[in-house]
Amino acid sequence: MLFPAPTQTVIKLVNLFKKGLPVRSELITHILSTLKRLTLGFLLGVTSGILFGTMMGLSNLMYYFFNPFISILMPIPGIALAPLFIIWFGFGDPTIITLGALSTFFPIVYSTSAGIRSVDRQMIRAAQTMGANPLQIIYEVYIPWSAAYIFNGVKLGLARGWMTIIAVEFVAASNWGLGYMIWNATEYLQADTVYGGILVMILIFILLEKTLVSGLEQKTVAKWGMITQK
Amino acid sequence: MKGYINLQSLPAPSTLVDKFWQLAVINGSLWKHFFNSLYRLIIGYTLAAVIGTLTGALLAQNETLKTIFEPTFNILMSVPTIAWIPIFLITLGLGDKTVITAIFLSSYFSIMYNTMRGIEMVDKSIVRAARMMGLNRLELFFNVLLPASLVSIINGFRLAIGYAWRALVGGELLAALIVWGLGKMVYQARYFNDAAVMLVGLLVIGFTGFCLDQIFLITIEKNTVEKWGMSQKK
Repeated sequence: MLFPAPTQTVIKLVNLFKKGLPVRSELITHILSTLKRLTLGFLLGVTSGILFGTMMGLSNLMYYFFNPFISILMPIPGIALAPLFIIWFGFGDPTIITLGALSTFFPIVYSTSAGIRSVDRQMIRAAQTMGANPLQIIYEVYIPWSAAYIFNGVKLGLARGWMTIIAVEFVAASNWGLGYMIWNATEYLQADTVYGGILVMILIFILLEKTLVSGLEQKTVAKWGMITQK
Repeated sequence: MKGYINLQSLPAPSTLVDKFWQLAVINGSLWKHFFNSLYRLIIGYTLAAVIGTLTGALLAQNETLKTIFEPTFNILMSVPTIAWIPIFLITLGLGDKTVITAIFLSSYFSIMYNTMRGIEMVDKSIVRAARMMGLNRLELFFNVLLPASLVSIINGFRLAIGYAWRALVGGELLAALIVWGLGKMVYQARYFNDAAVMLVGLLVIGFTGFCLDQIFLITIEKNTVEKWGMSQKK
């Protein structure tokens, strides 16, 4: 019972998919509600992370002020923050999405600021001599130069965001979500559903990483020759 | 006085300092939580470090073993730790065993992988030179391969301690039978709506994680930057 055969796991997944099918499939609803949370949290985390990271990279003052905070907050796992955010926002979507965004945010801020700070001074001076205004310098010099760093951060952020969202769904989801499904099955010792849920979760993550991040990377950074292709 | 901020759920920094003083000095329960967490971390992490380094070294040396095990390891590596925890809760129970196994598993793979890669990356001509001078396999391993791949191995340790710390806190939070532990402290405070205790716990978690990371970072710098005489800092 505790170690179901792989075939039983797959059969369970198919059953979950069929359950309630004419109206809406149970498995698909779980997956979609998790994906919705991931999309919102990830987009929020990426935009705010890149903006904040750029600011931290450009201004020494901001870098030295915020860096200690980020170093302390980064090692805290998203799930440990969940009880606090449950007090603040209650159960359900707001908590999960905020925590997803937060755990996407930190790796991206970290690598974006590191990337921006690594930009060669000569390039900026050259651009300034040729009459670029500060906004143009950001767009034309800083961002492309640090794109490889930013992508690294986005990759890490996606991984951490996905994990955190599933984990926070364990403790804070109300009705739907892959994490909720796994946790609910754990409490009823339904090992086959647990394994099935984890399988789906890994498949979705691999799919996301392969299509979203690597696809975007191929189109930009690899094309510009910033990283060597394997 | 009525303010815009609800001090119950977002306590002032002074309240946090007071709470920290109360928990750490007057009450002392913070240390019990802390040392219980540390105990689990040390057991899980030490096991992972020993077994991870050994298997990594073995896989790097033996082609057959590598072709057999590498695909399995690659798949298992992509499973996030938090996903293991429900499985362990079912199979190993709700106590210490689950948390320690989760710590072990989360740190094992990066240690194993980095050791393997580090040993594989050692310059083949050095190995051949050592062989020519008559070293046997054991001597070769301890005198050539291990020192040459030390940086990569310690890098793996550093990555692993971060994973292990996260797994520890997450595991403690979810395992119901655990009473003492930093993760549990944060989680228990939820029942009393005590945001100050949570924030103190979170800051201790963050600060400890940061310190653990720094220990390994400094060790790496000692072994690379200073040894190679490139001691100018950024």
